[in-house]
Amino acid sequence: MPPPEPDDLQRLGERINEAEQRRTQRTKPPPPMSSSGIALRFGWEMFAALVVGGGLGWCIDWAFDHWSHLQTRPWGMVVMVVLGAAAGIRNVMAAAKEINAEMARKNVEK
Amino acid sequence: MAMNPMEQFEVKPIVPLHIGPYDVSFTNQSLFMCLVVAAVTLFLTLAMSRRRLVPSRTQSMAELSYEFVAGMIRSTTGDDGLVFFPFVFAIFMFVLFSNFLGLIPGAFTVTSQIIVTFALAATVILTVIVVGFARHGLGFFKLFVPKAPFLLLLLLVPIEIISFLTRLVSLSVRLFANMLAGHTMLAVFASFVIGLGAAGGILSLLSITPMFMIIFIGALEMLVAFLQAYVFAILTCIYLNEALHLHGQH
Repeated sequence: MPPPEPDDLQRLGERINEAEQRRTQRTKPPPPMSSSGIALRFGWEMFAALVVGGGLGWCIDWAFDHWSHLQTRPWGMVVMVVLGAAAGIRNVMAAAKEINAEMARKNVEK
Repeated sequence: MAMNPMEQFEVKPIVPLHIGPYDVSFTNQSLFMCLVVAAVTLFLTLAMSRRRLVPSRTQSMAELSYEFVAGMIRSTTGDDGLVFFPFVFAIFMFVLFSNFLGLIPGAFTVTSQIIVTFALAATVILTVIVVGFARHGLGFFKLFVPKAPFLLLLLLVPIEIISFLTRLVSLSVRLFANMLAGHTMLAVFASFVIGLGAAGGILSLLSITPMFMIIFIGALEMLVAFLQAYVFAILTCIYLNEALHLHGQH
């Protein structure tokens, strides 16, 4: 077998790079999303944030009730539910941005 | 015959055990968790016991799962995230195998219990917090402070904290709800088959139709079982990435 030409080595390097790029790209696409999946995700993001906000508020009220004589009930929960709604809207917006970016990428690939 | 489709999710003690006021019985839940861990261990060790350069079918399945998770971590967190390969791989395999073992008729689905998925999600979020503090010290709090005027921050920081904690809920409930809904659906259609079959006459012949539905849903559940394990693992990676590189820069 003749010693490998530098040209051959270069081609081999290119092929390795190509293979590596293919490998990192292949695992990239997240699961395909149907429109009902998107709708479900938006609804879910909103709901989860409201639940977490309300739960945190309830905990705050409970803590004040339990460890001090301040009567914050029901204001901790009221405030935190509103903040939870805000967080939910923020999450929905972030999710929408993510989905838009993904769709734009898919269109580019097409 | 009336069948309760939720009966399959009941946790029943096998070996009753009480320590002080706590009920620590060995239940069907614990049994299937052990089975899942044993199955994963058996699969990986047996598949890799006769290593060959040209892999056999089982060996290539084990290698595939390794490559799959490693590629997932590399593409979401970059190469320095590979430190967490054992963590992500363990979570992925555990969820995947509990989903698939649960599909065997009569088996108990570990991931259909909210407390299990919640514990998994809590482990992920706690790891993210610990890694974040270890990497960035108090700088980790920057994750909760967007660029805004100071007065707005009073409002925005609690919102950011809530939406960080939302992940705990969404991560755990997504897996739990998918498994619960799928298995309930299977049980409901199975009770249709039995009910129609027992009705007699033409109705008995009709009992074939929900049978086809079961086959269809069964196939769908196979997909869901894999997809949910994948989603759980990739979300773990995404959250870890945020802890490693604040605000997601590579």
